[in-house]
Amino acid sequence: MSRGFLLGGGAVLLGWEIVARVLRVPLILPSLLETGSRLLEYLQTPLFWFALARSAGEVGLVLLLVLFLGLPLGVLFGVRPGIFAFCRPLLGIVQAVPVISWLGVVIFSLGIGWRGPVFISTLSLLPMAILTTASGVRSLDGTLLEMARVYRVPRIRRMRWIYGGALLPFGEAVMEVALGNAWKVVLVTEYLCGDAGLGVLLAWARQGVDTPGIYALSGVAVFLGIFSERLFRGLGRIFRLSRGGRPCLP
Amino acid sequence: MSSLIRVANLGVRFGEHRVLEGWSMKIRFGERVVLLGESGCGKTTFLKILGGLQKPSEGDVTGMPSRVGFVFQGSRLIPWATVEKNLRFANPACSVEDLLERVHLSGWEHAYPRELSGGMQQRVNLARALGVEPELLLLDEAFGSLDLRHKFSIMHDLLEFWKRRRCTILMVTHDITEALFLGDRILFLRGSPSRIAGEMEVGLPPDRSPWSPDFLERRGTIIRRLLESSEDQESKSRDCRKSS
Repeated sequence: MSRGFLLGGGAVLLGWEIVARVLRVPLILPSLLETGSRLLEYLQTPLFWFALARSAGEVGLVLLLVLFLGLPLGVLFGVRPGIFAFCRPLLGIVQAVPVISWLGVVIFSLGIGWRGPVFISTLSLLPMAILTTASGVRSLDGTLLEMARVYRVPRIRRMRWIYGGALLPFGEAVMEVALGNAWKVVLVTEYLCGDAGLGVLLAWARQGVDTPGIYALSGVAVFLGIFSERLFRGLGRIFRLSRGGRPCLP
Repeated sequence: MSSLIRVANLGVRFGEHRVLEGWSMKIRFGERVVLLGESGCGKTTFLKILGGLQKPSEGDVTGMPSRVGFVFQGSRLIPWATVEKNLRFANPACSVEDLLERVHLSGWEHAYPRELSGGMQQRVNLARALGVEPELLLLDEAFGSLDLRHKFSIMHDLLEFWKRRRCTILMVTHDITEALFLGDRILFLRGSPSRIAGEMEVGLPPDRSPWSPDFLERRGTIIRRLLESSEDQESKSRDCRKSS
């Protein structure tokens, strides 16, 4: 973590404390100390760790679905503009529909549980993954494909070396953006239609007017979002360094 | 020598714009043919047709061999693959060491294209084309971006390969020295849409020196021929303008 990043984080906490002391309304903005002690209480309960594991599992599942559905569909849409044009309205609708609008469909069809949050979160992130991948495919260097045609390179080798290599940075970008947003979306959907998870804890804290609890859980969500994004970036860097710091395929 | 490729009345048009018109030629097995013409006269389009990248609007090409090597104008190497992977992309069974030795790049198999100079990338481009054991080798202004030393060095490598394998070479260029250094036969392209306006047997041994009197004399002949034809064309277009 860079010094600038740590200083920026420290400035945010300092600003929070100053505003809390000026306002002196713990119901709106509790102090750092109150929030910290509520967080410590949470950390000592098994319920919190169960909720964290449940949310992490849902985030992992959402990311896997986004990756394994988004990348192939993105490649298909990039290669076949006709199919892309045909599916574009549906994609636009899915992209524009607010999370809350799915609620009725999800609760009546999937019930309250983990499936609803996973379904809604996947739908929320999927269009971004598809569109990013499709634009990656469309920006592919056509001269490389011509070269492959001249040498009659089989489709599988072409997909691996030309498409795979060109899409690697786009796949990384998709994962980074999805990781940053997945925690947020999963927590919102758990809040709305989940039976366990950090989002449900947030709902309970709101019902109990436990403002420090809401801030503590939100802080956990922010930390997890930033941590997982940085962890992904770090793993990517280690992977590249293990191959001499060069952009390459596995 | 048997006839390998026959091009019959070939024409290409993009919409209303005709690029090639009535191209006919026979290329014999093991021959080194050069198409010499100005930029934009459809030389690359012709090579794309032979390489299977484009279909002609009229006419046809017969007798194309199955193994074709293509040395592109830009190197067209996969940026995220090593030299070795680039060579194996075209032919997984090729002998990388042998190919790199042939183009004087031994020891560079694990380098990435961005780690190579333009001349070295072009050598890999050539090695990739040779790696498919081509019966026909197409060269699209392959040496245009190289400095003089690298240009002659790569052309020399190519001639060495040809002496061993006797594949057919078809090169397009606007450079007279390149054409004379590599070609057995030179076809002159002219006009718009371009046509084959004439041909010349070079009549020099494969090992050529660009400063030998024979080479320089033929160079002079080609220049004179090209200048005379361009004057002819200018006077014809002047007459056309006057009459209209």
